[in-house]
Amino acid sequence: MKVKIKQWNGVASWSWVANDDNCGICRAPFNGCCPDCKVPGDDCPLVWGQCSHCFHMHCILKWLNSQQVQQQCPMCRQEWKFKE
Amino acid sequence: MRSCTYHLSSSNMNAVQPNSVPQGLVTAWDTVTTALLSPDLDNAPSEEALSDHLDLLCRCGAGQYMEGWLLDTLHMNLTSAVAPEFWAGLKLQDGEEVQERRRARVLLQAFRTLLARLEPSLGGLEQIGRWQDEGRAGLSGPGAQSLSERAFTGIRAILLFSPPDLLHERMLEFLSRTFAVHMSQAGQAAPRREGEDEEEEAAMGTEGNVCQGCAVNPHDCWCKEALKLLRELSHILSRLQLLERVSSEAVTSILHKLIEQRMEQRCRGEYEISFLSDFQGWLDQVLGWVSRVFASEVDVSRMASSAAGSGGERAVGQPSSAILQRWRHHMQQFFCRIYASMRIEELFSIIRDFPESLPAIEDLKFCLDRTSQRQQLLTSLKTAFETRLLHPGVHTSDIITVYISAIKALRHLDPSMVILQVACQPIRKYLRTREDTVRQIVGSLTGDAEGCTDLANELSRADPVTLETQDSEDEGSDPEEWTPDPIDALTDKTGSKHRSSDIISLLVSIYGSKQIFIDEYRTVLADRLLQQLNYSTAREIRNVELLKLRFGESHMHLCEVMLKDVADSRRINTNIREEESRLPPEEQPPLALSAMILSSEFWPALKDERMELPAVVTQAMEAYTHRYEKLKAMRTLNWKSHLGTVTLDLELEDRTLSNLSVSPIHAAIILHFQDKASWSLEELSGALAVPQEVVRRKLALWQQHGVVREEAGGRYAVQETAPSSREKQDRSVLLMDSDEEGDSNTATQSEQREEKLRLFWAYIQAMLTNLESMTLERIHTMLRMFVSSGPVVTEMEIGELQAFLDKKVRDHQLISSAGVYRLPKSPHH
Repeated sequence: MKVKIKQWNGVASWSWVANDDNCGICRAPFNGCCPDCKVPGDDCPLVWGQCSHCFHMHCILKWLNSQQVQQQCPMCRQEWKFKE
Repeated sequence: MRSCTYHLSSSNMNAVQPNSVPQGLVTAWDTVTTALLSPDLDNAPSEEALSDHLDLLCRCGAGQYMEGWLLDTLHMNLTSAVAPEFWAGLKLQDGEEVQERRRARVLLQAFRTLLARLEPSLGGLEQIGRWQDEGRAGLSGPGAQSLSERAFTGIRAILLFSPPDLLHERMLEFLSRTFAVHMSQAGQAAPRREGEDEEEEAAMGTEGNVCQGCAVNPHDCWCKEALKLLRELSHILSRLQLLERVSSEAVTSILHKLIEQRMEQRCRGEYEISFLSDFQGWLDQVLGWVSRVFASEVDVSRMASSAAGSGGERAVGQPSSAILQRWRHHMQQFFCRIYASMRIEELFSIIRDFPESLPAIEDLKFCLDRTSQRQQLLTSLKTAFETRLLHPGVHTSDIITVYISAIKALRHLDPSMVILQVACQPIRKYLRTREDTVRQIVGSLTGDAEGCTDLANELSRADPVTLETQDSEDEGSDPEEWTPDPIDALTDKTGSKHRSSDIISLLVSIYGSKQIFIDEYRTVLADRLLQQLNYSTAREIRNVELLKLRFGESHMHLCEVMLKDVADSRRINTNIREEESRLPPEEQPPLALSAMILSSEFWPALKDERMELPAVVTQAMEAYTHRYEKLKAMRTLNWKSHLGTVTLDLELEDRTLSNLSVSPIHAAIILHFQDKASWSLEELSGALAVPQEVVRRKLALWQQHGVVREEAGGRYAVQETAPSSREKQDRSVLLMDSDEEGDSNTATQSEQREEKLRLFWAYIQAMLTNLESMTLERIHTMLRMFVSSGPVVTEMEIGELQAFLDKKVRDHQLISSAGVYRLPKSPHH
């Protein structure tokens, strides 16, 4: 007997490769989106800092904008630098 | 007035001295009274002589006794002779041939005699009344009208104080006959519509040559005579002022009987035409008969003017309009009541047939406005619903269909929606207890349910009622236009403006919350998208847009993301395909794999089943994931190996099965058989990491296709050559029901709920361990605080929580006393 697969339609869910489930700022899941967004994924991406913490991009930008003096990671208080 | 004149005359009487009898008074009395009682005698005194005698009588003060004497004579005569004679005359002699026609004549004859006997006294009274009116010879008294009134009151009292049933029977029979005669004549006169003729005839029960009017052979027809008799009878009765008393009852019962009869014959079970105008025409004909019966009855006002005149002067055949008006009104009222009662009784069927039964609803509405039968309608309809609809034998979708029909029909019947609200309360209550209600409603909303397109049409209606605006208080309706609710409205918190007639709002509000419907729709949508996997979402997009108009944008947000996932997946697939096609042929993937990539947070919880796929598939998936990761930085894919569809061809030694569409587990099984022709259940179960029971069930599909055969020792082997048709037959019978599969890919509502409750229970136990005892409200508040921030975002009604806790109490896992809950001292194991 020979089985010839013509088409395999699979189902998968995507997820961010991150070391946590939830955004440390908005507490919403990374796989969802930040409170200001409606659509996850490309429209509400994650960013990583050099300290290896990651957040919803919109969340961390909002946080950084609100910091007057120094721009620190809200988790570890190190200076925030985007990971290249 | 009468009592006043009576006192006057009685005081006069006392003034007369008994022993002073003037000369000639006796002669004068005799002459005058004889002239009064029998004015037509040959030896009647001349007018002057009569006047002289009258003068004498009045001079002596005896004038005022005459009226009293005449009335007494009349009454005594009536009691002792006339009335017994009348009743005797009404009876038929023994052995006489009992024929209807004869009975009618006897009836008339009895009245004729009655009139003849009473005529002299009545004439005398009239004469004396006239004299009194003229004030002749100083005669004074109550006057003609008042005198005759007194006379007739006496006659009615004596004659009809307790009339035997016989009179009523006879009148009923005779009037019924004249009715038939009249109707048949009216029917012949008026141009009749086609078809009605036969119906009428059938209704009359004619057998060939029988007169429709009098139901005897045409050559014996006595229709004309009957009408003549009727005219005379009416005349006599009217003269005696007995017409109303004697005929009304008979006429009323005839009318009632006939209206009922006609309605039974014509209207019962017939909802698609209006009967109002039909009956109106018929009632007009009937009114013609009523006018014949009361032909000689006079108007009260006209009676005053012509009271002195004899009956013959009155216009015959023109009954007073007031009487006819009264009868018309009576008939109308009675028709409405009977008709409404019948329609109320049939209302359930009418609702079921809506909108074809619209005419019946219109008719009922017309009648309800004129009778006070709303309460009857509500009670009857509620009972009908409960006995005919709300029992386990009726499918939920049928209940919903009837409910929708009821909404449509009743909002037509009663624009205030009160009937709708009250009568359908039991349906709503009952639907709440059915488990599949939500699924059915959502199914028909999206047009999936078979045969129920009402809701789908309703959803795509042009001017949707947003469910949101219903909750808002400030609807700017003009206070001037406010109308009070009908008295039978439910006095609940929802005012009249909240009484909705919108079908979807009504259905959704059965549960009081739209969230449950939205969740259900999401589940349905997920199932649909995962099952078809062809990325065509036009219909779903349309549905979501329509639902958005109803439920509000924010609630449908999750569904929108789901649809977007489908569109994104298609793009990514195309992308990856393109990339693959640029590869050299030897690196081409062995498997054409495409994926539906879900945003897991936005989809309903999917059933979590693990399964090991054959290496060729997992490799393809890994490759796909790899390309995806390149496409979308920092993101990866988690495959749900048990979901999806596979299209495959099977090439066997002597045959090829092509384009089979199966689920991944079926494909995985048959791929294993490609590598090795014979497997035992344990081996397969091990290779797939799936319980043996599941494998056995899934194998059934291939057994049905005749590809795999169960061999001795519990092993399964590929069947390279087709089995004989006989063998095949046995097999298919055997395996008919073996591939019963839970058709939903998503966890069911109750599964999700159970999951939620399990989580809550853990919290509750922890709370009670720390705080020992807590009230229901406290637990509820605490749960809201803790749980809503947890991974499972859920709301729990306090009622639901109480039910849950009470169940735990029943299971002895919790103790409830004095309004607080606590854990049992020795934990229950």
